[in-house]
Formats: sequence, C-alpha cells, structure tokens
Amino acid sequence: MQFCSYKIFIKYFSVFLILIFFVVSCDHGIEPRPVLPEPPGFSGTITFINQWPDSIKRTFLVVFENPLLTPADFTIQNLKYLSREIPLGALEYQYSSLDSAYIPQTPGPFPPGSYAYIAVVQQSTEQLSFARKDWFVSGVYYANNDTTQPGTMVIPDSSFIQNINIEVDFNNPPPQPPGYN
Amino acid sequence: MTAQTISIKGRVVDAQSIPLRGVNVVLINTSYGAATDGDGYYEITNMDKGAYTIEFSAIGYENVKKENIIISDKSITLDIVLVEEIIETEEVIVTAGKFEQKKSDLTVSSEVIHGEEFENRNYSNLEDAIRFVPGVTMTDDQISIRGSSGYSRGTGARALMAIDGLPFYTGDTGEIVWEMIPVTELARVEIIKGAASSLYGSAAIGGVLNSITRNISEKPLTTVNGFYGMYDKPYYQEWDWSGERRPFNGLTLSHSQQIEKFGFNVSFTRLEDASYRQDGDFKKYIGFLKTVYNFTPVSSLTFIANTFNKRAGQFLYWKDSQNALIPPERNEGDRIETDRYLFGLIYSSLVEDNLFLTLRGSYYRNYFIDNETPSNESASNLYRGEVQLHSSLNNFISLTGGLEGIASSVRSSLFGNPHSFQTGAYLVSDINFSFPLIASVGVRYDYSKLDTLNGTGAISPKLGLNYKLFDELVLRSAFGIGFRAPTISEAFTSTTTGGITVKPNPNIQPEHNYTFEIGLNYAFSSLFNLDLAVFLSNYKDLIEPVIDPVDGYAFFNNVLEAQINGLEAGLIMFIFPDVLDLTLNYTYLLAEDVVTGKALRYRPKNVLYAGLNFNRWNFQFGINFRYISKIEEVDDGLVDLGIVVDGDLRVPTYTTDLNFGYSFVSLDLPLSIYLNIKNIFNYNYVELIGNIRQIRSYSFGFNLAF
Repeated sequence: MQFCSYKIFIKYFSVFLILIFFVVSCDHGIEPRPVLPEPPGFSGTITFINQWPDSIKRTFLVVFENPLLTPADFTIQNLKYLSREIPLGALEYQYSSLDSAYIPQTPGPFPPGSYAYIAVVQQSTEQLSFARKDWFVSGVYYANNDTTQPGTMVIPDSSFIQNINIEVDFNNPPPQPPGYN
Repeated sequence: MTAQTISIKGRVVDAQSIPLRGVNVVLINTSYGAATDGDGYYEITNMDKGAYTIEFSAIGYENVKKENIIISDKSITLDIVLVEEIIETEEVIVTAGKFEQKKSDLTVSSEVIHGEEFENRNYSNLEDAIRFVPGVTMTDDQISIRGSSGYSRGTGARALMAIDGLPFYTGDTGEIVWEMIPVTELARVEIIKGAASSLYGSAAIGGVLNSITRNISEKPLTTVNGFYGMYDKPYYQEWDWSGERRPFNGLTLSHSQQIEKFGFNVSFTRLEDASYRQDGDFKKYIGFLKTVYNFTPVSSLTFIANTFNKRAGQFLYWKDSQNALIPPERNEGDRIETDRYLFGLIYSSLVEDNLFLTLRGSYYRNYFIDNETPSNESASNLYRGEVQLHSSLNNFISLTGGLEGIASSVRSSLFGNPHSFQTGAYLVSDINFSFPLIASVGVRYDYSKLDTLNGTGAISPKLGLNYKLFDELVLRSAFGIGFRAPTISEAFTSTTTGGITVKPNPNIQPEHNYTFEIGLNYAFSSLFNLDLAVFLSNYKDLIEPVIDPVDGYAFFNNVLEAQINGLEAGLIMFIFPDVLDLTLNYTYLLAEDVVTGKALRYRPKNVLYAGLNFNRWNFQFGINFRYISKIEEVDDGLVDLGIVVDGDLRVPTYTTDLNFGYSFVSLDLPLSIYLNIKNIFNYNYVELIGNIRQIRSYSFGFNLAF
C-alpha cells in the first residue's frame, strides 16, 4: 500500500516537475525594452524679457505631473523634471528633455503622459532648496495662447514634442501657485 | 589445514571526506562489531562466511544500513559516508534560549542551515544560502524575516546576526556584512523567526541568525577547498557588454588542531569575481582564527578573530533595460574599499553545580572609503560586553539571565562623529512541566542613548509554549514584544548626492513591534516531517526614508504602522530514506501599511522553495527551485526621479539550481568534488529595482581533507 502511494507520488511529482521545467525554461524574465524610433520627450525655448533681478541665485525649468492646486501638491514626487541651472542673464535659452537634468538624473526617453504645470522658477537662497517658499515662478507654459490657465503638455507614446515655449517677463510674473509666502 | 581469517574492513568519513572516529559498526543479529579509529578505519576479523546486514551509527549522523553483504572466502572492504543527522525534531539549537535545547522543545519557529550545504551548493557567501530559508527573503544584501524589512541601502537591519553568539553588526549603519562570514568554517547557522528582543535586545526585532563555527578537530586536519566557475553569456545579446564569459574563483586553506588543552581552527579565504556586470567585480580576503583553551573539562576560553578586506566595484543600478548589466555613465568606475575586523572573547565555566557562567566581549571595526569626489569615508568602532548566567534549578526549571553593554564611536564624512551607548538586562525562565508542556517566559530592559539625542528605554517581554500532543505532534506558540533603536546612520546622515539632500533627524525614535505565532510540527515515522506556522505582527513607528514636504530633503523618520501577517508550511518527504528526499516550503505574507492599506515595499506575497536531493553510492545530486511572486511596491521615488531608468521592470522570480557531488572515499582518497549550475534557465530577475541578479553560472569545486 505504502509502495503504491510512493509510485503515485513519484508519477504526479514527475509530471509536476516537467510542467515546471516547461514553464520556466520558456520564460526568461526581464527583457530589454524596445528601442523607440523617436524617444518621447519635449523641447522648447525660454525667452527672457526685461532685466534679470540681482537677487536671483539660480533659475530652473520645472515640470509637474499634477496641477499645483494646494501647497501639498508641491512635492518632489510630483516634480518630474528639474533642469540644470539656466545661465543667469540669458536672453534666450533652448532646452530639451534629452539634456542632462537634476530630475530625471539619467537623460533619455521621457515618460509619455500628461503634465499639468510647466514653469520657469527662480531661487534667491544661497543653497538649492526644495522648500515651496523658496521657489518663485517667473514664467509659465501656456497652451494654445490661452494665458488664463497653465497649459498642459501631452507627450504621446514615441513622440518628441517641440515648441514648449515659455516667456519670462521679470516685470510681470504669472500668478504664484499656492504656498508661496 | 589452517582456517582462513575472513574480515570486513573499511573507512567511514563524513560528507566532507573528514574521517569519523568512534562510529559503531555492528553486524545485525550477531556478536560481531567494531568502532572506527581516529582516522576513520574499522576492521572486524575472524568472521564466519554468510550474508550479513551491517549498520553504521554515530551520534549526530544518520544511520547507514547495508543489507545482504556476502562474506565468502575473501575479506571485503566497505567504505561509508555518513551524513549529518537532519531529522529536525532531534536537532539541538543554542540560539533560541542562549543554551542548548532540542529543536522540538522550542516555543518559536527556527531553521538550520548545515555547514555542508555551503560546499555542496557552492555558496561562498552566507546570504546566498539564506535565500532558501523558509520565511526569509533577501533584497540585495538586506534580510527580511517574515517581512520585517524592506530595503534602505544597508541602513539598519531588523535581524540580529551573531557568530558563536557574538553580535555582528556595524557601529555606524547597523548592517550585517554577510560577505565577511567565513562559510567554510561554519558547522551550522541557526535562524530564529519572530521578535527575539527579550534575549538579544535591539536589532533582533525580526529574528536572530547565529553562525556556529566548527568544533576543533581532535586530530590535526588540513582542508583545502576551492572552486572555479564562470557566468554564461547574458540571454540577450545587447546585454553582452564584455563579449566573454566572466570567471570567478575561490580558495580556502584551513587547519584545525588540538594540542593538549589548546586547540585552534585557522583559515584564509580568497575570493575573486569578474562579475557578469560591469563594475560588479570584487576581490575579497577573509581571515578567521578560533582558539580554545580548556582550563578544565567545564571551563574554557575561546578567542575569535575574523578579518575582511574587499576591493570592489559598486554596481547599484543599471543604465537602462537596454544596458541592464552596465551602470549609468555617472556611476561608471565607482569603487569601494572596506576593511573590517571582529575580535571576540568567550569565557564559559561551570562555576557551581548547575550554574554556568558565560562572559562575552567583542570589538568590531568597520572602515570603508569610496572613490567619489569628495570621498565618502566612514570608520566605526563597536565595543560589546556581556555577562550571562544559566542555571538549571531542578529538572523542570532553568533560568538564563544577563547584562549587556554596547558602545560605538564613529568618524565619518556621511554621519559625522557621533557616539552611542546601549545597555540591557534580561531574564528568561524555561519551565518543563511533566504533562508534557514547556513554557518559556522572559523579559529584557534596554536603554539606548544616541549621541545628543534623548535616551530611551524599552521593555521587551516574551511568552512561549510548547506542548507535545503526541510523540510525533508538537504544538508551539509564542508572543513577543520587540524594539529597535535607530542606528547612527538613520539619525545623523548628512550628505547631498545627485541634487537630493539627506538630512539628520534629531527627533527619531525607536520602533516597536509585537509578534505572535502558533505552529505545529508533525513527524510521521521516518517518512515525512511537516511544519506549519501562522504568524501575526504589528510594527509601530517603523523607520523609513521619506521626503520632507517642507524643504524637500530626504531623511529617516518614524512613519509607518504596519501589519504583517502570514503563514509558513514546510514539508520534508523522505521518499527513499537516506537516499531520496523532497523539501517543499511555502510562505504567504500579507504586509500592509495600516493607514493607507498599501503593501509594504519589497515584501513578496508568495514564496515557494522546492528541493529534491539524491544521495547514494557516494554520489549526490540536488535540484532546487525557488519562486517569489512579483514585488508589489518598490522605491517609486527612484523611478520617478529618473535615478533608475526602467526601474518599473520587475517580474516574479523563478530560479532553478543543480548540484552534483562525488566522494572518492571508496578509492581511499579524502576528496570530494562538486559541480554546480545556478539559474539553469538563465532567468533574468531583480530583487532590487534596476539590478539583475545572477545570470546562469557553472562552477566546479573540490574539498580535500588530510
């Protein structure tokens, strides 16, 4: 009786092993993502109007995924792009998401999706700060010439969109998102 | 006519080809018998012709019975390999109560890794073996016992590692340095699951691992253990960054000798790995010395020295999924050098009838420096002392109590120059009722002071019960409260890297938990052993790295209340006893943030291990399979910030390893050889995002003892 039980066990266990072998030998787990003909991303030109204030220590281009409706929306998790510093005193600055940036740290394809708030921000602090109170928005991206609200940037799959242009008028800054002073 | 003398003779060795002394060799149903000498030889002479059944037996080893051995006109030679006893209910554990207990008498769940597994399966690092322990998972080099930990890049550990009872963690980050442990010197590793703070204090909040080193050989014994192997080419051609099969090798020389009252084990290990990943290469040197001086049969002084030196690349994350085995350009050429030293003294003595004194003292120095600009450099010194008394008051009650003090100092570019101090006192009583119930009751108080931070105290009680319903069926249950004081790195890290600033947290507090488990062990004859456990645990003030929304700085904070529940089922089937056995282990884990209901990071829900092992004719074969379900939650921040490109790619883990071994004992050679193929299907998976684990590798090893 016991011997029969073992025979049955070995039979079913062998079938189980073969099945496992079959399943796992066909699957090689993580594989490289396909190379896209055109890496998704964005680029544009920032134009500066009027004199740069002396108090500015650094200037960045930032992209937030979700709208900045409350101070709680200003989080590093919501911040999807933080450019390198834009040279102080520049009149025009051309940028691309393929350029080196603080966020993301590795330049390359930018995740496709919808991004609600694109802006040029300035800081007057001595050190780089992520505190909301230390960020002053000096220019915002508007879509379709609608300056009543910040424009949304939509990056489709495998598309690199251009002309995400922003005009910075130091004498006429846009409305500040919640949480500034 | 002269009567011819007929004899049977041979040699008995263990799985590592080490001769066994004192093995009983008995011809069943006769008066013939013998015992092996110091070199493992035996001989039974003046036998009558006939068919015999011969049994070989020794304490701690599985009996071997050879049937129908025909003795005719000629003498015969019969060499035997004895395998260490693996029947779990008879195993002795020293970690659960800080004294020797049968595993079947424990009130908590425990596991044992036997020393020979490191050779058989070519584990040159303890963490590789840990990956096959039920209820234990690893994320890179960070251990999680029953879901206790996620991943915080080496900062803090929620399990206490010890070597011969000497705790073994760094003074700055509190991490376990697995690669330092000399696996060739280990007799076994005991693992206790669940909060063990009532005996071991902080860091044992999730469990304890105790590496027990080998006893000193009675006869001079020199062992040479070596292996050479290579990684296969990556499955995807675009990942083949080097165009070659990358080699790895290791060599250990060890010697053990007893000279009257003095004995020693000494070993030196060199490991080199060219790595399947660019900048994943390393060279490691491990030194180990254990000396024992026996003042009397019940009094001894043990000295342990363990040194470690490493020169290695630092592969943290891949460049992207197209370049999965090379680091991002910004990390290319990153290297690290480390030097670590552990020195320990253990004095144990039977000071009075039934009163056993143990004194333990240790010093652990940890130093590392990397090649970043400016360099991250840290040196820490950790000093520890413990006095322990154990007494069997009578046949039913034993008491174990002790005092412990730990001090550490750090000089670091990352953590500053802080100091810390901890002290604890514990008392545990094990009561053996006759009906038959065993109760284990204990409590420990700890006080910890971390540099300028306020000192904090914690009380950690435990209660455990063990009830033998039948001889074969043992029920156990345990409740414990644990705590973990923050490490120096969690409180004082101050650095900026890649635009992200990490700041200190002067308000960080210890984290606490309670764990409860109920389990049973059923051993049916010699056919199978079934172990089941259900566990519940709740963690309060769990320390995790977070981003401060006020200033955007990262820091460690007490943020989570977590509920971690689950079950473990383990089955060992002795399909053909002593020849073929099957091991199955399954763990289900539900680890959730109590507030958000989200799964905790880096905690897999389902883990399955299966192993089939064959052992006969001095030949050994094993196949081991491991399945881990896809991790639900990871460090999204690292993906969102673009630090780990394609970091969202992760899959369930399926790994299958094969091992073959052969002992040349039948040729009178003290030699064993091994062949290992790991990850035979070349399956690509990650434990830590953006970090592919070992691809397929082949290795050949040998063990020579003389």
